[in-house]
Amino acid sequence: MISYDECVSEIQTLLAQSHAGGSIVPPESDLIDELGLASLDVMELIEALEDRFDVAFPINELGDVRTIADLAKRIQTLT
Amino acid sequence: MSLLQKLDAARDFQDQLGQLGVNAIGATIDVTGSATEGKIEGKRVILAGTNNYLGLTFDPACIEAAAQAVRTHGTGTTGSRLANGTYAGHAALERELSVFLGTRSAIAFTTGYVANVGAISTLAGPGDVIMLDADSHASIYEGAKLSGAEIYRFRHNDPADLDKRLRRLGDRCARTLVIVESLYSMLGDVAPLDQFCEVVKRHGAFLLLDDAHSFGIMGETGRGLAEALGIEDEIDFVTGTFSKSLGSVGGFFASRKHDVAPLRSQIRAYMFTASSTPSVIASTRAALKRVAQGQALRSQLWRNCQRVHEGLTSLGFKLGAAPSPVIASLMDSPQQAAAAWQVLLDAGVYVNLVVPPGAPKNLSLLRCSLSAAHTDEQVEQIIEGYAAVAQRLFDQPRAAATAYG
Repeated sequence: MISYDECVSEIQTLLAQSHAGGSIVPPESDLIDELGLASLDVMELIEALEDRFDVAFPINELGDVRTIADLAKRIQTLT
Repeated sequence: MSLLQKLDAARDFQDQLGQLGVNAIGATIDVTGSATEGKIEGKRVILAGTNNYLGLTFDPACIEAAAQAVRTHGTGTTGSRLANGTYAGHAALERELSVFLGTRSAIAFTTGYVANVGAISTLAGPGDVIMLDADSHASIYEGAKLSGAEIYRFRHNDPADLDKRLRRLGDRCARTLVIVESLYSMLGDVAPLDQFCEVVKRHGAFLLLDDAHSFGIMGETGRGLAEALGIEDEIDFVTGTFSKSLGSVGGFFASRKHDVAPLRSQIRAYMFTASSTPSVIASTRAALKRVAQGQALRSQLWRNCQRVHEGLTSLGFKLGAAPSPVIASLMDSPQQAAAAWQVLLDAGVYVNLVVPPGAPKNLSLLRCSLSAAHTDEQVEQIIEGYAAVAQRLFDQPRAAATAYG
């Protein structure tokens, strides 16, 4: 299993490239309300994480994911 | 938070679209005099955004069949298929669809959307897996959600990505329904269906093909992309619609490999909604005959597609895909797309304006759909409309290019 920190770091790096203008945002950041991701953006972020960690993340669980920390915890359990 | 905040949010979204300066939610077509012409905002226009691929909405045989049915059987069935809503025409249409498609059985639905929601939510259930193309139609997403199955997406039209994601599922592939479309309605791109079939078979999963947009227009006899590729026996399940090539409204669910008929008593979207009106069934049956003998219509349609694709490419438009009956021009922004749509309307050409989130990848599109019924003169008028757009909106001629080569 990968570490929580490694997972957060990967999400932060991906978001810095796509939505945060290059800056690293804190794990408590809300993906939609604070970072302004649309639901399609969240799905694309998850696809990138699935490939990075070779896991399968069902999109049914999207509703349970609000923050970077939520996403990192869930991805971690899949590895 | 009040329940009604959702209404406020919806109104805000409408206001944003309103700021584009056009009626982006859908223009009202006041009159249609034919399959290719109508009146919008009091102005006569060529209809080039109606998915009326074979132009059968005004086919004399289809109109006569509908008129006779409404006189004989009345205006509606006033019931669901399992109650009082199955007429001889419904059963006949299902038999004729089965014979035409070479399937073991076929079930007719009230709309194509309902066919997808009903078929998908019944085929898969809790404990199963649905693997769908990222650009799938809303009805596929809805059916998947309703099924209670775990849902995964794979990258659009990417068999290698599907292969990778099925590998991750391991033994669960035996409980997995993979869903793809034949021709995608927004960009007009065609699925690599033969490659998808190979991947799905290798992993022991099942494949459902939504053939809404290639039914009637591809394949020697119009049975769609799978017929054109000679792989119909490889497809587990197929869904389709009557509201494109067949020129009416409704949908179907069928299979060559499995008998789907017993699912009638399981599919809630079939059991608990009113059946199609007799006139709709009658015109659909007449249209199905025209499709089966429609080589000349298909040839004309594809000639029109080639001509418009060439014309728009030479004008500098970036197009979504190789020639098909859906020709999407990729615009730089929603504002530019809205302005272009209005220029086209003013030039007497109606196409679909698509702004985020209506299209994949947040694209803004002018979506033109062509018909076999468009005359050569109308095709040239459509291209002239786009020439007016190019002149008004592009500062300088664009490099001729298409997104997919």
